[in-house]
Amino acid sequence: MLSRHAEDLYWTGRYIERAEDTARLLDVTHHGMLELSGEDAAQANRDVLEVLSLETRFTGSAEDSAAVTNFLVLDQDNPGSISSAVARARTNARGLRDRISSELWEAINSFYLDLQALDLSEEIHEHPYQVYRRVKNSCQMVTGVAAETMPRDDGYRFLTMGRLLERAEMTTRLLDVRYHRLVDSPGAMSFNRWAALLKSVSAYEAYLKEYRAAVDPIQVLAFLLLSADFPRSVQFCLQGTERELAGLIDTGVRSDAQRLLGMVCAKVEYCDLGSLLGGSLGDFLDELQEDIWQVGAAIDTHFFHHATDLDLHPYVTR
Amino acid sequence: MLKTTFAEAYDNGEPRLHYRALMERLHSLAPGDLQGRARLVESTFRTLGITFAVSGREEGLERTWPMDLVPRIIPGSEWEIIEAGLKQRVRALNLFLDDLYVGAQAALHDGVIPRWVVESADGYLREAHGLRAPQGAHCVVAGIDLIRDGGGVYRVLEDNLRVPSGVSYVLENRVAMTRALPIAFRNHAVRPVSHYGASLLTALRSIAPTASGDPTVVVLTPGIANSAYFEHAFLARQMGVELVEGRDLVVQDQVLFMRTTRGLARVDVVYSRVGDEFLDPVVFRHDSLLGIPGIVSAYRAGNVTIANAIGNGAADDKAVYAYVPDMIRYFLAEEPILPNVTTYLPWQNEDREQIFDRLEELVVKPVAEAGGYGIVIGSQADRATLEDLRAKLTAQPRGYIAQETIQLSTHPTLIDASLEERHIDLRPFVLTGEDIEVIPGGLTRVALPEGSLIVNSSQGGGSKDTWVLEDDGAVATR
Repeated sequence: MLSRHAEDLYWTGRYIERAEDTARLLDVTHHGMLELSGEDAAQANRDVLEVLSLETRFTGSAEDSAAVTNFLVLDQDNPGSISSAVARARTNARGLRDRISSELWEAINSFYLDLQALDLSEEIHEHPYQVYRRVKNSCQMVTGVAAETMPRDDGYRFLTMGRLLERAEMTTRLLDVRYHRLVDSPGAMSFNRWAALLKSVSAYEAYLKEYRAAVDPIQVLAFLLLSADFPRSVQFCLQGTERELAGLIDTGVRSDAQRLLGMVCAKVEYCDLGSLLGGSLGDFLDELQEDIWQVGAAIDTHFFHHATDLDLHPYVTR
Repeated sequence: MLKTTFAEAYDNGEPRLHYRALMERLHSLAPGDLQGRARLVESTFRTLGITFAVSGREEGLERTWPMDLVPRIIPGSEWEIIEAGLKQRVRALNLFLDDLYVGAQAALHDGVIPRWVVESADGYLREAHGLRAPQGAHCVVAGIDLIRDGGGVYRVLEDNLRVPSGVSYVLENRVAMTRALPIAFRNHAVRPVSHYGASLLTALRSIAPTASGDPTVVVLTPGIANSAYFEHAFLARQMGVELVEGRDLVVQDQVLFMRTTRGLARVDVVYSRVGDEFLDPVVFRHDSLLGIPGIVSAYRAGNVTIANAIGNGAADDKAVYAYVPDMIRYFLAEEPILPNVTTYLPWQNEDREQIFDRLEELVVKPVAEAGGYGIVIGSQADRATLEDLRAKLTAQPRGYIAQETIQLSTHPTLIDASLEERHIDLRPFVLTGEDIEVIPGGLTRVALPEGSLIVNSSQGGGSKDTWVLEDDGAVATR
């Protein structure tokens, strides 16, 4: 397929995932904050901005929860806001009209038009729960429609890879920011926070089913990092990306992207949870973020911007 | 000169035979029902993204092109004549272009059309000389604009031989119609249009350079910001081929390739929706970012075919238009089946006198403008405009043509909750490959403001589904 189309599909996957993850994170944070003092609320806002890697971009005050919400939901100048992620996904999809199913285009376009029609600046403060739910539902609708209407060809692989890599990054950052606050919180507060962490990636119920027990830090960490079955665990996303990548490359020689990704997967799979919780988790997660970023860069070079393609690639006929 | 207006659906207040069943059905619906259905169509178009960008406005302003719910109906026997006339005209235009750019320029030598008129046409390109069009198909896709005069005679108003647009609306309007008025549709034996994509692909594959066994066809678009982007994507999807932009293509050793995730893939035929002058910065506009450096040399080497061919503007110029009937007589030795609108050329002495004597009765058009811009309708112009026009005609006779004012036929059209008469035209699409094919009907455009004669989408126009019947009248209402 055309490199440009592949890149647009990959980013469509990322933007939709970003919108969904942001909505989920804000939803959980918002409800958690209702019980917090002003001081704690400001800290919670700072944490959210950090999870989304937007702490330097936000120029307002973290004490002003409404400003933080506006920035993360409405701000068109913030490429990480829900509105702009959806608008970008839609612009990409428009350029992919001949590539994606009509149903998928309609799902993305309706999502965008729905958000446009809503007076978000009002709704997000009056009915935050409804807005977040709507965003999550629409994102899942888009993902579901893609899964049910697109052939499992290269296009679908790029879309899926974008989604999985974005999600792996998000779960990693979430763990990174949140675990500091968790290990030393006392009693009931601790439970609530661990529960909130799990809820921000829709993992609470799945976790309880898996471990049938009260939340335990080492088990939460194991679940979110290593679970092979839970679709939002880091390992699940990375292995999924590995599978899609293998389908895209038909020579026997491993690409840089595959090599890097294989190394990251091994690093996660064989990590020592005990010693991570003993103190090195922060460094480990920082490194993991950097690794995932590198994988993205390698995918970019291999598929989208192979500049000297005339020399590197043999001529192929379709 | 006929000043009357031809009503498509009615004759002396009675519906014409082929409109009876439709009018009966429309009048049987409760008031407001049609409006509800029209709103449904509008919202469907918006969800599907069947929109065009309004040029000159900021990005993001997308409008749907209103589709009127009352279809235009053409009886089968009437269509046979139109179809024959269109094929004849496009055949002659292709022969003319081949003679001009590839052949011996016999038509110019024999004085069928003055050389200077052709060579001063905006779309005439010296660079196109020697560029061979397989099958002689310089215009693979032609859009020929037709109007009906006061006597109901179909006349050619304009030829569009470069990048005629609008065919996506023909197909989408049909789908919308079958949903909005299913019963009325079922009661008529309407000729299908949905095979357009397949026919276009067949035509494009037939003009591939001879070397390739299984030619790869692509649609080339200027990109998402282009007002007709929806159509470009639509056509690529209908044909199942890639929609590419200039940056996706690269020429190496006079061979055209597209950049794919698995390396470079060879391209044999480009259906280009990019204007000639933007196609190749090496040959034409050096500042073009839409084009592909070297594509014209690949074309010249016979390694790729571009459709429509480069330089077609030499044949759809408004002044050259006046000579098309003579082209038909010269190349085909036939009388034109579809007449032109009577046209006067300011550089011919006898015509100039007519123009100056009857300026307030005629329509004057600048030859270089499209989209209905710059047209002066004599009867509606004030004194100052006419004086200004006289000066322009004297200074720049090659820049204008004058035509008899033709009212354009009218057709019942849903305005709010009632049916009112509005002016319409028709753009049929003619495909040339190994064979020549006309898609039944075409795009009927309607001028929505009362009394307006300008049907262009940019100036308040809408469109209608166009039904060509298998027979000459409606099937009995079921």
